[in-house]
Parts: sequence; C-alpha cells; structure tokens
Amino acid sequence: MKAFEYVGATSVDQAVKALTAGAAPLSGGTDLINRMKDYVTSPERVVYLNDVKELAGISGDAASGVTILAGTRLADILASETVKAAYPALWQTTGEVATPQIRNMATLGGNLMQHPRCWYYRSGFGLVPKSGDGKNMLREGDNRYAAIFMTDGDALYAHPSSLAIPLIALGAKATLVGPEGERTVAVEDLYKVPTSNSDSPFTAKAGELLKSVTIPAASGKNASYEARHKQAHDWPLVLASVSLTFSGETVSDARVVVYGVAPVPWRSKAAEEAIKQKVITVESARAAGDAAAAGAKPLSMNGYKVSMLKTVVTRALCTAVGKKYWEA
Amino acid sequence: MAANSWPETLKVLNKDYPRLDGMAKATGKAKYPSDERPEGTLFGVILYSPHAHARIKTIDTGAAEKMPGVKAVEVIAGPGKLVRFHGDDIAVVAAETEEQARDAVAAIKVDYEILPHAATEAQAMAEGAAKVVPAGNVRKGRAQVDGKPDEGLAKADAVVEAQYAAPVVTHVCLESHGLIARWDDKDHITAWASTQAVTATASELAESNELPISNVTVLTEVMGGGFGSKFGADLWGTTAARLSKKVGGRPVKIFLDRTQEHLAGGNRPSAMAKIKIGATKDGKVTGMIAETFGTGGVARGSGFPLPYVYKFGNFSREHSDVFVNGGNSRAMRAPGHPQGCLIMEAALDDLAAKLGVDPLVVRKVNLGEDFRTPMYLEQIDIGAELIGWSKNFSPRGSEKGILRRGLGVALHQWGGGGAPDKQVSCTISQDGTIELKSATQDIGTGIRTVMAMIAAEVFGLTPLDIKSNIGNSTFPPGQSSGGSTTTPSMSPPCYNACLDARVEFFKKIAPALPGAPKPEDLSLADGKLLIKGEPAMSFKDAARKIGMNPISVVGKFSQGLSSNGVAGVQFADVTVDIETGAVKLNKIVAVQDSGLILDKLTWNSQVYGGVIGGLNYGLFEERVMDPISGRMLNADMELYQLAGASDIPEIVIHAYEPPAQKQRGVIGIGEPPTIGTAAAIGNAVSNAIGVRVPNWPMTPMNILNALAQAGKV
Repeated sequence: MKAFEYVGATSVDQAVKALTAGAAPLSGGTDLINRMKDYVTSPERVVYLNDVKELAGISGDAASGVTILAGTRLADILASETVKAAYPALWQTTGEVATPQIRNMATLGGNLMQHPRCWYYRSGFGLVPKSGDGKNMLREGDNRYAAIFMTDGDALYAHPSSLAIPLIALGAKATLVGPEGERTVAVEDLYKVPTSNSDSPFTAKAGELLKSVTIPAASGKNASYEARHKQAHDWPLVLASVSLTFSGETVSDARVVVYGVAPVPWRSKAAEEAIKQKVITVESARAAGDAAAAGAKPLSMNGYKVSMLKTVVTRALCTAVGKKYWEA
Repeated sequence: MAANSWPETLKVLNKDYPRLDGMAKATGKAKYPSDERPEGTLFGVILYSPHAHARIKTIDTGAAEKMPGVKAVEVIAGPGKLVRFHGDDIAVVAAETEEQARDAVAAIKVDYEILPHAATEAQAMAEGAAKVVPAGNVRKGRAQVDGKPDEGLAKADAVVEAQYAAPVVTHVCLESHGLIARWDDKDHITAWASTQAVTATASELAESNELPISNVTVLTEVMGGGFGSKFGADLWGTTAARLSKKVGGRPVKIFLDRTQEHLAGGNRPSAMAKIKIGATKDGKVTGMIAETFGTGGVARGSGFPLPYVYKFGNFSREHSDVFVNGGNSRAMRAPGHPQGCLIMEAALDDLAAKLGVDPLVVRKVNLGEDFRTPMYLEQIDIGAELIGWSKNFSPRGSEKGILRRGLGVALHQWGGGGAPDKQVSCTISQDGTIELKSATQDIGTGIRTVMAMIAAEVFGLTPLDIKSNIGNSTFPPGQSSGGSTTTPSMSPPCYNACLDARVEFFKKIAPALPGAPKPEDLSLADGKLLIKGEPAMSFKDAARKIGMNPISVVGKFSQGLSSNGVAGVQFADVTVDIETGAVKLNKIVAVQDSGLILDKLTWNSQVYGGVIGGLNYGLFEERVMDPISGRMLNADMELYQLAGASDIPEIVIHAYEPPAQKQRGVIGIGEPPTIGTAAAIGNAVSNAIGVRVPNWPMTPMNILNALAQAGKV
C-alpha cells in the first residue's frame, strides 16, 4: 500500500473540503482498502467518514418516501421494517450482499460507489484492459463474468453494485454534495461507461461525495431475484429488480433493471414494454424475460448469462405477484 | 516386547475423545507457527513475477536497500534468469515490519523481457504454442494396455464416447506456507515452521546451511493445513534461514500471502479424458480406450489412476503431461485419486444410463476379485439405505419440472498403511507424569490426542493425564504426515513404548510395595495400581516409588497393529434448478472403513473435512488462468470459490467397522474421504438434469452450457 495522508472528518462540510483531487473517501473499507493493498488505487489522501454522524441513518416512510444516508450500514438497511415492508426488492438484495460481517461494515454509499470487481481491473489492467499487442483482454480472455450488452464497446465488465439495481427500479434519486453545493440525480445517472483507463466509471465530479439516496413513496409492487453460484458470500451472477404499478391486475407501469449484464446497471425497456398492459402470469413474465434478452451480444464464454437473464427477469416479475412457479 | 494386536477390550481407544488442543484451537489460544514472533523478528517478503514468462534483464535493489527498516535484500533470480509463471520468486526483503518489507519489495525495479507464454492447457497444446519447456509442452507417457480393447468394445451392447475435465485447484491452506528461522548462535538454528514434516524441514535447513542436522530444531506445535503441500522448508524457508544468518541471527519470518499461496504454494493437477467405454446388457464392462492429459504446471506431472477401483480387461490408456506457465502442482490430499475417480465414475454412470441399468448394479458387477470387493458390496448397500436409493432414485432423464432432484454414487480407495521405522519415547517420572515424544506433527488428523489415548489405555488413565509431545524435530524419529500414514505409523511404536514402560514401571516399584509382590501381580486401571486385582493406591502414589531416575523407553513399530488399504463409497443427493444452473446439495453420505478407529471423534472430523474438501472440488474450485496475460485471475478468497457454511449440506457418516475391520488394526483416514465426493456430485447432477455435465466444477455456467449443448434450454 502506498503511504497516504489521513484526514478524519466529523462533518459533511469537513469531508467535502478534504476531498480534493487525488483523495478517496473511506467508510466501511470493504472495497477501498483492498484496492489500496493491491496497488489498484493509490490515493494521496484518505478521508475517513465513519465519524460523520450526519451521514448515517434512515428516515421517512412508505407513504412519503424514504431517505437513506450514504453512510448507513447495510445491516441497518436490513433491520429497517420500513424497507422490508415497502421496498422488498431492496431489502432482499441487501440481505444477499456478502456476509453478515461485511454487511456490518459496508455502507450504502460504498456499495453504490464501489469499483468494478472485474478480475482484469483488480489485476491492475484497468477498466478497459488492453494487452501489449492491443487486444481487449476481456473480449479475448476469460470473460465468464463479463457483460452481454453494450459489448460493441470497449468496457466489457459487469457493473458491481447490486444495490443500484433495486434502487433504480424503485426510481430512487441520489444526492451528491460537493464544493459547489448539493445536486440530485437519478441513481442510474451516477454511472457512465469509461472509454479508457484514465476515465472514471462515475459521473461525480472531483470532490463530490454521495450524501444520500431517496426512494419515492411506495406504490404497487416490487421484487428482486438473484441467480448466483454459492449460497454463502458470493456476488450475483445476474440479478433483476422490478417495480410495478397496477391498474386492477394489469401492469400499468414497470421498471425492470438487471445486474451482471452490462458495464452499467441495465434498464431493460424491452422487458418493461413487454409486461405493460399485461396481467402477470408465468407466460407473460416469460415473454418479458425473453424480451429482456433481445439484443444481447454475449462474449466468448458468457452465453449462459443470456438464459440466466431471461430467468431472473421472469422470476422477479413472478415474485412481485407471489407466483413462485419454480418452487411448485 | 512388541505387541502384534490391540487389546480385545478397549476402555479409551475406539471411543469419542475430543482433541487435547481442541479448546485452544477453537478459542484462538493455540499459537500457530505463523502466530509466533520471537524477540527481534524481522519480516521477509518475496518479490514474485507478475508475468507468466519473462527473462530478467536487470534488477535494481538500490532504492529498496535504502528504505526505512530494511535489513537485508537478496536477489533470487538475477539478470538473465527466466521466470516461468506468475508467482515465480525473484527477490526477498527482510525488514523491521511487514509493511516496510512490502514497501521495499515494491521499490525493487525489475526490467523484464516479456516472453510468449502458454498458461492454459489449450494454449500449451495448440499448434505453434510458446515453449514452456525446451523438450515441448506435451510429454506423452507410455501406453498402458491390457488385452484387446477394440475387440472388447466390439462385444459391447452399448458404447459411450465422452469427454470429461476437471480444472487445477489449489490447496488453500488457511495457514500459508512459511517459517521463522533464527540462528541461536554460530552453529544452531531454531525454526517455527508450518509443515507436515518437521524432520524433512530440519534436514533441508541443515543441508542448505551446512550444519549437522542435530543442530537444527524445527518446531510445529500445531499447523493450519498442508494437504500434501508442506513437506519441507521450501525456498522460502531456506531463504529465511540464510537471511537470519546474514543479519546476525535475528529471527526472519517468511510466510506467503494469500495470493502467493494460490500462485506458488502448490495445486492439484487438472485432468481431462477422452473415453470410449462399452459394456454388455448386464452392465459388465467389455473394454475401454482412454486418452488422458492434465497439467501439473511448469515442471510437474499430472498422472492419475485409470481404470480406477473397477477391474476389467481389454483397456488401453495413454496419458500426457502438459506443461503450462503456471505454478507447480504438489501432492494434494489423495494425489491423483479424485481425478481418476471422477473420470471413471462419470464414464461408468454414463454407461449405466445408456444401458438403462441401475448405477449401483453397474458398480457391483465390475469390482472383480480384490480384498476390497466384499467391503464395497456391503458399503454400497449401507450407503444406498442411508441416501434412500430405492425410494429416491429415478433413472437419468426421468426428472421433470424446474427443480430436479438427482442421486449419484462413487467408489474410491486408498492405502494408508504405516512406515515401519518410526519411534516414540515414553517417560514416567516420580511425580506421575507420563510423557510421550516423537518427531511427528499433527496435520489435523489428531495424532497428539491419539497417542495420549493409547497411553491412557495402557496406564489406566485418561488422555488428559498424558503429556503428548510432538512437533519437534529433535524428538525420536517420527512420521511425516503424507499418504494418510501418520496414525498407522505412530500408534504401533507408541503402544509398544507404553507397554514396555509399564513393564519397567512394575519391575521398579514392585520391591517397594507392601508385601513385595511380583511385577506380574501388578496392573493399572481407573487411575489406580492394583495388586493381584485389588486396588492398592493411586497411580500417582505408585509413581513416587520409582525414585529419582525416571523410566524412559523407546518403542518401535511391530506388525499386526496397523494395516494398509481402504475402500469407501459416497452418495450425493442434489437438486438442480435447470433455469439458473444452481445446485443445492441436499445430503452427502460417506461410508468409510479404515481398520480399527482409535479416536472416533477425530476420525469423524477427518471424514467431514474430506467431504467438504470434496464438495468444494465438485461445486466450486477452479484456478482460472488468463490466456492473454498468463496470470492467475482469481488468486484470492473472493473469486476463488469455496463453500461457506450455508453451502454445506447434511453430511451423514457411516464408519464401516465390523469385527473383521477392527482386527486389521489402524489404517489412515486423512485422504480417502475426500476422493469420491466430487464424482458422486457430478453423477447426481447428471442424474437430475438428464444430461452429463462434462466439466467440473458443477457451476451454473457449466450446467447451463451442458443443457444448452443438449438442446434442453
């Protein structure tokens, strides 16, 4: 690990002032510390946020919407009765993150702003890894965990934040605070696709800190479904979150977001269109799952994710209406 | 006098007894070699190659040497030298703190000429591949031929042609490889080593430092896993000793970090097979032709037994070792057997499915003549009962729906006999202390506790009354812990030492006892000395009569107390979600023999551990090598997948121990129970989903690919 300057902040104001160029915010430490140890990230300065009391907590309710401050531990999100009752898509996905020990330390902000887990990136080859002779390492190499959408581009990793998926499905907004004050964006707008190794996967400007996430008032139904390898301590392979509003039994509006298929959280408008104006049955959900897969261009090793994508979209929709057909 | 059988009635042995150091291990009180930090310890860190294949043009340690805390820098692979895999050793730094050593390693400047590599088997075998070794990347072995395979296959009613593959997996010892070496004075070394062979480690340190072996003491009080990969000092250990001398004797501690442990600490070779196998309608195999290969890294072989367990004529087999730019293999828990088992059992299961014959029947009819055959026949029936075979088994392809249940079976075998040249000393002192000593070590199979149980049996005491001292290379010669040989090697000399010490004890105290009984009138039971069967005094009081000089004898091996050769059958019950490829293990059944079981609790623990290791091989583990950079991509504990608690199912153990088995004496248990698990799981998955998944581990990717290949999704 490269030596760095350490700043302990006790207020958002102090933290923002300390977050100059080359500085990195540290909270749970479950991502940054590993990157520093592996020389993937070597910040000049680390700004410690755990003592910033105004960055942790959950407020609001299902009727008016809920705000979760960025420093809130995942364990505290899991413990929230409001989240559990009103936003099961988020609650369930939170419970599937890592291990209880990690959830006790990891924060919502850290989860949303973590760096990709792509093994080429973590080996020091960057987000757009190129070999000495100019080959895209993910395209030509071991891409079993990589993206199946946007694969005409150069960034082929799968986006790492599983909590961004339900939050985007729920229409959540993120508030960033920086030297020029606060601004609020849709959670999906936190991310972009880098075009080179010097490019960031985030839209936040230098010195900006994620302060909170606000989920709008609960309406309709929402759910997530995750396909993974191990039961214990693993990443999702593919995960879908859905948020649905109904007119009677018919879906009037839908948001379908998928993890593990693109370098950003993947909103599947095709699946949304396919399920709108339909009553959710196993058949209509499967049609939406099939629609979600349209246009996927898997790489050499990750074709399996296409069928997995269809399944998780189908199952998230069915879970939302309590039709767990696969458990029958 | 040496015994040739164990007592017919056992009071302590063959019972459940907790490990003597179990509480210390469970609470963290036990000090592992890597926990030790003798005064003045310097920390050594190795610089290793980030490249799969390169020539070192220049290496500059100037900046590193000047860094704070740095006491020594040494180049291991200097200019002109080749590094041949990601993780190959280049240089070492010893510094006051680990952080200083790591910073200094990062400051060493190496200029590499990067050479073409072949990091995967496919790359190494491709036309025009980069040469890993000058003689060529593929070393063809001599063909094994028995009978006339083509003629045998021509007689078959069904023939299966298939390919199977299992990847390289690493040992993942929770305590990494390493030791602390200290020059005590100008000609003595003490080392605290995480090793499964204190004696071999001492001899390596002695030889590399030109010292008589008696001047080197290697200590391994407890150790955190070896699985076959820790048989000596290794380059890292001899380097620590050399650096210690260089810095005037201060202890130097070199333990690999997790990444290095994956890269360079050893692994189980991959195994791939092209099989053609045929059988008649009754399931009897008529012939097999097998072409197999695998990689053991940059310099090691990849052999495994095939045919495995079953006996049939008319087979041919050709094996090739493939060399890749990857870390070398080392012995890993039952070397070769898990690979041979999963390939043999998969082929036999596919044959059973094609013939429509019950997989258990196919196994039974192909066992042939062997001392294990009657054992297997009983073990198959016991296991079938425990897994509910007759109720729960349905032929491959008959499961419908999304969640599909399947059962699978696998047979395995191992040796596990004892070495005849080991010794244990037994010393009885006048305060009643009984101390056992031998230069063996506890790799986890519980030898410390087993030795104490043997002494307790002989002296009518409890294991807690015995000082069982192992893990010191200066003690009487003890067994290295490999091949499941520790318990069968050490328990006979331990038993003989205790018997002889008891004879000496009776001789010495008899004249001092009231009524001056003859030594043969004395016996020991329940902590008491008995004279002609009547309790006379406590053992402690009797021991006082020894006088100033303790009784000390050395026991040797004798025939009849241990034996060699185990069977074993495992069953898996799984549910596979055919839409996600997720496998849920419902249950594993392990039926296992190993002669006379000395401590049933540590024995069970070995079987549980073996099954868990085996299910990791079956479901999770894989060393992923990058064809582009030649680096290992998952050299961590995150993407190198291993089961967590919720991935481990109910494991039912049946100790197969009828009287005939007990009479065989002690046989080792460390290795056999890990062999069959991955094979049984692979067969259960195929039984569930109706198609063979040819590639281990049974990941969602491999399962969905197999289903897609078969047009089932």
